[in-house]
Amino acid sequence: MREVLFFDQKSISLCYSNCLESSKMESKRTSEIIKDWVELYSDNLYSWALYKTSSKETAEDLVQETFLAAVQSFDKFEAKSNPKTWLFAILNNKIGDFFRTSFRSPIEDNQGILDRMFDKDSHWRADEKPQEWTNDAENLLDNSEFLITLNDCMHRLPENWRVAIHLKFLEEKKGELICQELQITPTNFWQILHRSKLQLRKCLEMNWFNE
Amino acid sequence: MMNFLMLSCKKATELIEKKSLFKLTLAEKVQLRMHISVCDACKDFEKQSGMLDTAIRYHYVKRDASEVPQTENKPLKKKIISKLK
Repeated sequence: MREVLFFDQKSISLCYSNCLESSKMESKRTSEIIKDWVELYSDNLYSWALYKTSSKETAEDLVQETFLAAVQSFDKFEAKSNPKTWLFAILNNKIGDFFRTSFRSPIEDNQGILDRMFDKDSHWRADEKPQEWTNDAENLLDNSEFLITLNDCMHRLPENWRVAIHLKFLEEKKGELICQELQITPTNFWQILHRSKLQLRKCLEMNWFNE
Repeated sequence: MMNFLMLSCKKATELIEKKSLFKLTLAEKVQLRMHISVCDACKDFEKQSGMLDTAIRYHYVKRDASEVPQTENKPLKKKIISKLK
């Protein structure tokens, strides 16, 4: 009886040290694999994050967090899937989180663009009335110069407005869900979008369409 | 009744933006359609607003990661690798 007990304890302790050893090995292997991924993909990930956030520091932070998250949830990675795709999915989640946290509510009391566009009766001011754009509006998306102008105009928007536009399109979520995550009312959200649209449109009109 | 039907241009353009992300109520739909049928400026705005949405979606969202300008960042690579040790 005593022998059996002794044997049991021994085997338990043996197993314990084995398991510890194999988990150490496992984590060593994981970090080697992830290191290879850093070599292979960190520039792609960084370029993408930089393009999305337009901030060097933010992009670096997000890429770093992506790899740390990859280490932590490595067991969820299936060997069959493509590591690049997996890493991009993690990064895109992080980019979404970044925009959600950088969105500050409540809405700034910025009436400027509304007063500039509309008169006291809320109708278009005579010189701001939309008209057909003179510059060719066809094939805009193939025009790299237009995309540069669009980019410039996006960056001239107040930060919160730009963030709102990103959130509108980022994950193609339903409006109600976006607002729930931001904890603001739908009215609040589309009013911000309305103002940003007016401002963006004005900027593009001056710098592109009616140039 | 006239007030209900006579939307201002400011309100009409708000509804155009709202429509791109949320459902309009039946009353809002009717009001917006009525307004656009008599207001060429808002009709043009609606068209242009949709074009801008398409351009933004394409430029910022749907673009493939391999199409964006690639930037090398060696210090970042080093930094991450050192954190993984």
